[in-house]
Amino acid sequence: MVTINNAHSDLIHDAVLDYYGKRLATCSSDKTIKIFEVSQDSQTLVDTLIAHEGPVWQVDWAHPKFGIILASCSYDGKIIIWKEDPNTSKWTQIDTYNVHSASVNSIQWAPHEYGPLLLAASSDGNVSVIEFKDNGTTEPIIINAHAIGVNTASWAPVAASFDNVRRFVSGGADNLVKIWKYDQDAHTYVLEETLEGHSDWVRDVSWSPSVLTRSYLASVSQDRTCIIWTQENGKKWNKTLLKNEKFPDVLWRASWSLSGNILAVSGGDNKITLWKENLEGKWEPAGEVEQ
Amino acid sequence: MVKIAEYQRTATFTWSHDKIPILATGTASGTVDANFSSDSVLEFWSLLSIEKDKPINKIKASAKFNDLDWGFDPNKQLVAGALDNGTVEFYDPSNDNIISSNSTAHSTPVRTLTFNSKQNNILLSGGSKGEIFIWDVNKINDASYTPSGPGTAMTPLEEINSLAWNQNLAHVFSCAGTSSTYASIWDLKAKKEVIHLSYTSPATGVKAQLSVVEWHPTSSTKIATATGSDIDPAILIWDLRNSNTPLTVLKNNNGHSKGILSLDWCKQDSHLFLSSGRDNTCILWDPESNNGELLTKYPTRGNWCFKTKFAYETPDIFASASFDNKVQVLTLQDLTTKFDIENTNAEKDKTEADFWNTVSSSDANFTSGHEKPTVVNLYAPAWYGNKSPAAQWAFGGKLVYIKNDGDEHSVEITKPDIPGIFSKNTMLDN
Repeated sequence: MVTINNAHSDLIHDAVLDYYGKRLATCSSDKTIKIFEVSQDSQTLVDTLIAHEGPVWQVDWAHPKFGIILASCSYDGKIIIWKEDPNTSKWTQIDTYNVHSASVNSIQWAPHEYGPLLLAASSDGNVSVIEFKDNGTTEPIIINAHAIGVNTASWAPVAASFDNVRRFVSGGADNLVKIWKYDQDAHTYVLEETLEGHSDWVRDVSWSPSVLTRSYLASVSQDRTCIIWTQENGKKWNKTLLKNEKFPDVLWRASWSLSGNILAVSGGDNKITLWKENLEGKWEPAGEVEQ
Repeated sequence: MVKIAEYQRTATFTWSHDKIPILATGTASGTVDANFSSDSVLEFWSLLSIEKDKPINKIKASAKFNDLDWGFDPNKQLVAGALDNGTVEFYDPSNDNIISSNSTAHSTPVRTLTFNSKQNNILLSGGSKGEIFIWDVNKINDASYTPSGPGTAMTPLEEINSLAWNQNLAHVFSCAGTSSTYASIWDLKAKKEVIHLSYTSPATGVKAQLSVVEWHPTSSTKIATATGSDIDPAILIWDLRNSNTPLTVLKNNNGHSKGILSLDWCKQDSHLFLSSGRDNTCILWDPESNNGELLTKYPTRGNWCFKTKFAYETPDIFASASFDNKVQVLTLQDLTTKFDIENTNAEKDKTEADFWNTVSSSDANFTSGHEKPTVVNLYAPAWYGNKSPAAQWAFGGKLVYIKNDGDEHSVEITKPDIPGIFSKNTMLDN
C-alpha cells in the first residue's frame, strides 16, 4: 500500500499508473499535473506540469512503445500532450489541441494496436479522435455525439471486436450511452447503437478488457445506478442493473480490472465497491475498499 | 457549437424543469412583427428535435405575453402566462387549449409571475398600480376562485416589474418596480411588507432605481437587485442582516453600460449569476467572489436583452430573449477553437474579388457572424469534475484511488484482497 499525502492543493480528479506501475500521474483543480515515481513503499515527485488554465479532469499514459507520453484534458477546453526526456527526466509540453469549444471531460489513448489515437469527450457535445501521423501531423475527426454535452468516452479493447472494426462508447448529458464504429470509407465514426437506460447524466462508461466471447460495458450515472451491458458476437445489447436498489449517492467512476472480471465502482459517498459476476450471471459484491 | 438553437421570435420564454429541457416561448407584448399581426402564440421547443425550427406544440393565447413561468410540480405540468390584457392564463404543455384564464384579478396588464419552488401550487403575479396576487393553482378551475393579496404595503410600488420567491423560506418574496428607488421584501406569514432596500449610487449621489430582484439559491438572507436606469447601472448583492448597504457591487469596466433588465442566480452553483440589459449584452458573474468578478461577456445582440435564464436542471445552457427578434439558446462555455481561427484566417486570405463574391451569401454571414464570448475569468461550475474516490485498476491487481478529505488531497495505491480472485503473495505481488 502506497499513500501520497497532500499530492495537490485542491481537489484531485484523476490518478493513473503507467503501464509498468512505476509512475503515477495525478491531476487537480489546482490546474497542475504531477508525476510521481512509485515503488513498493516510497514515492518521489518527479515533476509538476503547469500549462492548463482551468481544473485538469483526466490524464492518460500512452503505450510505452510510443515513448513516455501523457495526455491531459481540462475545463479550459484544451488537450495537452506531454513528454518526458528519458535522459533528464524532465517533462515538456509537446502539443496543444484546441478542437473543443467547451470543457474536455475525458481523454483516452486507443489500444496500441490502432496506433497513436486519442479519444476525447467534451461539453460542447462533440467527441474527437486525434490521429498522430508518422509525418508529425495530426488529423482530428470531430463527431457530434450527445446534445447538451459528452461526459465520457472510452475505447473498445481489440479483443472485444468480433469484426475487426474499432469502436468506442460515449456517455452524455442526454442520459444516453452510444456505441460508435469506424467507417473506413468515410474516415469517420458512425453511430452503431444507442443504449437507453439511465434517467440522468451518464458520468462514466467503461468497456471490459475481458477476452471472453461476450463484451461487457459498465455505465454509471448521476441517477445512482450502474448498468452492465452485454453483447455476444455483435448481437443485441442486453441490460442488467448491477444491483436493483439505487446506490446511496451519485456514481462517478467505473473501472474493470485488467483481467476484466472485477468491476470497481466509486461514488459521491466516497465508497469504492467491488463487484464480480457469479456462475449464474448475477452480479455480486466482491468487497469494499477500506479507506 | 456557438448556439444550441435560435428561434426567430420576439418572445418571452420559460424552461421546463426536465434534465433535457423544453423551452416555451410566448409572443412578447409591446412589439409587432413585420405583418403587424396581433396574434399571440405559446410555442414549445425540443432541443433534441431533428427539425429544430419546428415547435413540438403550439397554443393560441388570448393576448401577448409579458412573462411566462413553468410550474415545479412534476406530476402536473403547467405553464402560467402574464398577459398584456390583464389576464393570467394557464396552459398544459402537452395539450393545445387553454386550461384556465382569469381576467378579473388584475385590473391592469400583468407584468410578471413566478411559481414557488417549495409550495408547488403557489404562484405570485404582479402588475401595474402595485397589484400583487397569490394564486393557488389547485383552485384555478373553480369559476368563483379569486387569488388573494399579499397583505399591507408600506408604500405601494407603482408598476411591479420583477418578483422572486425566497429559495428557503416559502412565505417570503421580494419585488421591484419600473420606476421606484427601492425593492421590497414581503413576509406572507406577517401579511406585510417588511423591508425596503435602497441604494444611493456613489457616482451620482442619487437613489438608484431598483427594478430587478433575484434571491440567492441557498442563503435565505442574500438577495440581488439591479438598477434599471442607464445612469450608473449596477447589480447589488445584499445580506439582509445589514440592509443599509450592499455586500458586493457587481460593477466592472467591461460590465453593463446601460440599465439591467434581467437577473438569474444559478440554483446548482451560487458562484454563477447571469444578467442582461439595455446594452444588448448578457454577462456571467461570480457574485460570491470578493469583488464580484466578471466571468464571461457574451456577444452583443442587436437589441435589448430583456430576459436571460439558465435551464433549471441543465445550467450548462441558458436562453436569452432580445428585441432583435431572436430567442437564443447558448452554452455557458464557447471557447475559440482551432477551426474558428482557421475560418478567420481563410476569411483574411480571401482576395478582394472573392470577398465581394461571397459577402452576400448566407454562408459567408454564418462564418463571420460566429462571434465568441469574452472569457475574463475561467470558473468551472460545481457540477463538473470527478467528486468520488475515482478508483481505477492497474496492472497486478492494484487499485489506485483518490482521497479528497477536507483540505487533504491524497492518492492511495492498494491491492484489494478478493477471495478466489486475487490473493496476496502471488507471483504478481512483488
